[in-house]
Amino acid sequence: MDSSVHLDNVVMQFGEFTAIQKTDLQIESGEFFSFLGPSGCGKTTILNMISGFLEPTHGDVKIGGQSMRGVPANKRPTSMIFQNLALFPLMTVAENIEFGLEVRGVSKAERKKASDRLLELVALDGSGSKKVTELSGGQRQRIAIARALAVEPRVLLLDEPLSALDLKLRQHMRAELKDIQRKTGITFIYITHDQGEALTMSDRVGVMSAGRLQQVADPITLYRDPHTSFVASFVGENNGIEGKVLSLNNGMAEMDCGQLGRLQGRVHNTVKAGDQATLFIRPEHFRLQAEDNMLTIPSKIEEVNFEGAYLTLNANTAATKLAIQLGAHQFSESLVAGADISLSYKVEDAIILGAAEYV
Amino acid sequence: MFNQLKARFGSGLAVGVIGMIAIWIIAMVVLPQLLMVDYSFRPNLLPADIGGPKDVYSLVNYQTLFTNKIHLEIFFKTIWSSVLVTGLTLIVSYPIAFYLAKVATPQKAALCLVLLIIPFWINEILRTFAWYIILAYKGPLNALLLWLGFIHRPIRFLSGDGGVLIGMVYAYILFMIFPIYNAIESLDTNQIKAARNLGAGWIRTHWRVVIPHAKPGIATGCIMTFMLAAGSYAVPSILGSPGSRWFTQIIYNWFFEGGDWNQGAAYAFLLLVICIGFIALVMRVFKVGLGDIAK
Ligand SMILES: Nc1ncnc2c1ncn2[C@@H]1O[C@H](COP(=O)(O)OP(=O)(O)O)[C@@H](O)[C@H]1O
Ligand SMILES: [Mg+2]
Repeated sequence: MDSSVHLDNVVMQFGEFTAIQKTDLQIESGEFFSFLGPSGCGKTTILNMISGFLEPTHGDVKIGGQSMRGVPANKRPTSMIFQNLALFPLMTVAENIEFGLEVRGVSKAERKKASDRLLELVALDGSGSKKVTELSGGQRQRIAIARALAVEPRVLLLDEPLSALDLKLRQHMRAELKDIQRKTGITFIYITHDQGEALTMSDRVGVMSAGRLQQVADPITLYRDPHTSFVASFVGENNGIEGKVLSLNNGMAEMDCGQLGRLQGRVHNTVKAGDQATLFIRPEHFRLQAEDNMLTIPSKIEEVNFEGAYLTLNANTAATKLAIQLGAHQFSESLVAGADISLSYKVEDAIILGAAEYV
Repeated sequence: MFNQLKARFGSGLAVGVIGMIAIWIIAMVVLPQLLMVDYSFRPNLLPADIGGPKDVYSLVNYQTLFTNKIHLEIFFKTIWSSVLVTGLTLIVSYPIAFYLAKVATPQKAALCLVLLIIPFWINEILRTFAWYIILAYKGPLNALLLWLGFIHRPIRFLSGDGGVLIGMVYAYILFMIFPIYNAIESLDTNQIKAARNLGAGWIRTHWRVVIPHAKPGIATGCIMTFMLAAGSYAVPSILGSPGSRWFTQIIYNWFFEGGDWNQGAAYAFLLLVICIGFIALVMRVFKVGLGDIAK
């Protein structure tokens, strides 16, 4: 069955305010797709348009190729897991899970069978008669998943479902969600402001900022090849060095970075000579020994943190602060606060992005 | 309370304040009621006979109701009509309360609440007379309906129970709207969305999610409306016809026309007791606890 979701040039306005700028996006059938962005950037609004709680001001939402315009929320093949779960507190666990089936007129015996099966899927067998309020946070989370799956949706919408859980449980639930997605083959549309969550679980991620989709890519591409300054700084840690583009040559550019001198990096075609731009270098791309084709930035260590497998340094340069991550084997007695070091990076590892967007 | 007051104002003032409150409650609330209870068990005698050999306690006044077929009929009709008023008020109020709590923007809701409250600054008697004018045989409502072609000859709204029902629904609507509004307001909107999302239509969403949550508010509103309706005097005497007499009117007659306070008191207590019993029964049936209502 075609469970693809197509946001066909949708725009969402609330009065004068445009919450979602014109967006065109195809989410494939059976894909695990995440929207990643800071709070207030419009993620929930997108889910509300897909689930039918909001009609887009312009454009159309298509599920399985069919236009959803005018189809009310209760008739759409979507199921949502809410940010606060929104379990029904006056119903038992089983009644919660069976609610969607009850609506569809499924017989009591069939409903019971379905809720038993789903409780097993989320590893909560036998808790059907419990009250929702008797469950822990993680258990409620799973009931919400079971309830959403009970109606056999084609598209499951998840609105920051793990944000209320503690770190350990969150990581565990990530694996479980991924597992459930694989088993069921349902299209998952996942919303989060946590980049770790988005990168570990998704087939593709759409990074959003202020109602605009900045970049859509698989997690590795997103991390290695961000297309905008926003994506470069929002996804993973990054060091940004401001400067002015001097010259371009074969996908590489040279920048005048003031007191740091001339630095080079990869560049995308929208950047022109003379533009203000930012050179991004990830903390793990710095080396202490320069090799061929490396550039060096002199700096002074401010702080050293030993983290076990790796160590992190904060260093001051003439222009800006840098965060550095080194493998533990590179640790030496000379790495102490106040020591002068030269930080080197491979030119291909740095990326230069203009203030303008690259599409 | 005494200790708190004593700590703050010293024992002299504390005793004074507590004493005054006690006198207030005893003299103004408890004693008159006790006196009425006392009255209701004694016969109606000439002043000379009071305290004499004929002045004995008995249930005679209470038995009167059950031997007077007309009064008994009016009694049950009052209870039944009050149930009807409560039901009608609920039907009218629930959508309004839901709209105010969940649909309207905060500004619109505030405006609507003000518009609902302002008419209630006007005295109940005046408001009821306004309805008398509206519902009159040659009044504006009939004129409008005739003009719109819904009816071919005027309706006598005021000759049956219709006028009384309409008047009471209007008189007590706020007592129903506010508790329900408060209850629905406290419902997480995502619950409604979740029900919709799982495929529930509007009726089921209300039946399974909104109403169960609002049940304490609905119960509070119904109890208040029922008690007010059963004890109402102004509305039935203004909008009622001879055929739609309210039990309160009978009680009034015993007190001020029959001059038989003993009989009147007995009737009043019967009404109170039966109403409370009825409410307790209904609360049982709908599984509402006292604690829910006090919330
Ligand atoms: N119903 C609405 N009316 C007006 N503004 C809204 C409405 N819903 C959301 N917004 C605005 O749209 C923006 C995006 O909101 P939302 O989608 O909830 O963000 P996110 O889920 O990414 O935190 C916010 O600025 C929010 O204030
Ligand atoms: Mg949100």
